[in-house]
Amino acid sequence: MIQVLKTIFYFGPLLFGFGFLTPLVSQSIVAVGWTPPFGLTPLVTGLLIGGTLGIIAQIRGRWI
Amino acid sequence: MSPTQDLSHMSEAELLRMEREIAARHIDKFPYFAVFWAFSNFFVWLSLWPLVFLGIIPLWLGFIIATVNITLSYLPSHEAQHDIIAKPGTKLRWLNQLVGHISIIPLVLPYRVAKYTHMEHHKHANNPEKDPDYATHANGPLDAIWKSLYYRQPRAKGGLNAYGEALHRIGRSDVVLDGVIYQIVHFGILFALAWSGYALEAALLWWLPRHIGLTYIQYYLSWAPHHPGDKSGRYRDTRSFRSILGNIGSLGMQYHIVHHLHPRIPLYRTPKAYWEMKPILEARGCDVEAL
Repeated sequence: MIQVLKTIFYFGPLLFGFGFLTPLVSQSIVAVGWTPPFGLTPLVTGLLIGGTLGIIAQIRGRWI
Repeated sequence: MSPTQDLSHMSEAELLRMEREIAARHIDKFPYFAVFWAFSNFFVWLSLWPLVFLGIIPLWLGFIIATVNITLSYLPSHEAQHDIIAKPGTKLRWLNQLVGHISIIPLVLPYRVAKYTHMEHHKHANNPEKDPDYATHANGPLDAIWKSLYYRQPRAKGGLNAYGEALHRIGRSDVVLDGVIYQIVHFGILFALAWSGYALEAALLWWLPRHIGLTYIQYYLSWAPHHPGDKSGRYRDTRSFRSILGNIGSLGMQYHIVHHLHPRIPLYRTPKAYWEMKPILEARGCDVEAL
């Protein structure tokens, strides 16, 4: 159980990127009425931005 | 005693006796306002959720109120951490513990984690090895804000991340579980809200206000009263300071030195106790020039 929790917390930035930032970016795009380029949907755009930020934070160990 | 009276000729024992007499006049006063503050602040924060979800108030207004709520959420619990509302074994002890637990839920800081680490801070203030809040030490205001954010990063070794180490050191590893549960529930709620179409509400009623609140709290409760933080000892590890936002804007911390000397004096009485004690503090060589 402790190992499971440690693993969850270790991958915290990645989980936060996909679990929170993705829908946050997606819903922010809809709220401001912005149309993403290349025909991307708000959700896919959110996934790209949130997921990328999460991966970078996971590797660096920090968001800022 | 006048606040400008010179007591430098008095002996250690006389100064200590006078200091204790002043403290005794302010201890054991029931902090009605802190209890009211704890429950009303928590209730207002909770009520923001239905008010925003039902469109009764706009999200931007909810964000401002939530930020104020979360910034104000720590202090009632701080009163409880020092048993100011009710000591162990007394009739109202349940209220002390209830305030301690309830008020800091929005901050996602478990009461037992806050209490045990805060007691360590009092015992070892400014000790780089043992003070759990040592990471908030900084060269100036902007550096203090940066340190607060920096040490909140996933793999940072200080800030709230250092609380786990402090709990292990004092043999209360069991309390770490409180923090783990709080974090999982907090992020579980944020993720569930976000994927249900309420990501902006989750971000602006909880996630972002919590980070702003934590920064403000660490600035005024940890950094400002201990700066420069290079001395330790009862009369050296804390100071009085003048905030451009006044005593209320600095969350009552201008007189924090009184709190470190006599932690059971309620927050609302620390200004009065400070002015009564000031000649004694000056005679002790405390850093009290700012006020």
